[in-house]
Amino acid sequence: MAVAIAIRVRFFARLRELTGSETADMKASAGARVASVYAAMRAYYPALPPQEGVRAALNHEFVDWDAVVSDGDEVAFIPPVSGGV
Amino acid sequence: MLYDVVTGPIDPRELEAVVSHPGAGAICTFTGIVRDNSRGQTVTHLDYEAYAEMAVPQMRKIGAEIKERWPGARVAMAHRTGHLEIGEASVVVCVSAPHRHEAISACQWGIDRLKESVPIWKKEHAADGTHWIEGDAAKPSAKQ
Repeated sequence: MAVAIAIRVRFFARLRELTGSETADMKASAGARVASVYAAMRAYYPALPPQEGVRAALNHEFVDWDAVVSDGDEVAFIPPVSGGV
Repeated sequence: MLYDVVTGPIDPRELEAVVSHPGAGAICTFTGIVRDNSRGQTVTHLDYEAYAEMAVPQMRKIGAEIKERWPGARVAMAHRTGHLEIGEASVVVCVSAPHRHEAISACQWGIDRLKESVPIWKKEHAADGTHWIEGDAAKPSAKQ
């Protein structure tokens, strides 16, 4: 049986509005990747947009979607930042 | 105030004081101001939201990169969050260096990097509704 780990997910800006939540605590399997965390969140919050166009951060650093999460990690899903001229 | 996300007004002079020192012959300060128009629409005000725990370390990283690329540079950055009116300063990047060319180049590089990699979002309240500005795209807010 897979070992369960606890992680905290955070949403910001438009993604926060779409989920109606700033944070979500979830269990994942040990070795889970950021992409599967997002997929689980999309299953729970169907309003979330596809992964393309969203960036992921793990413990306050931008990471690739195949980054592995560990127990106690904070994963944030981040829409494109402001840009502007 | 070296690298900070703040809820109150930003005073660029305060950041300049932080980077000023006897060996700095130039200080370049970029101030981003809330504009009254965007995408051809009249803007009434903005709301900025930050992932502060990540934004400040990202700013610090940009500052460290500036010091590597432009030896002798000193850097201060502040971004404001919350409700901002037209004409208010939303972001200030301040770089001191021995000479003007380094100070200007480093400051421009710093604000460009900040816009790309510091997790702070802008919600624009305009004549055509409320939108999150995501890079070049304006996406309707779920809360109009």
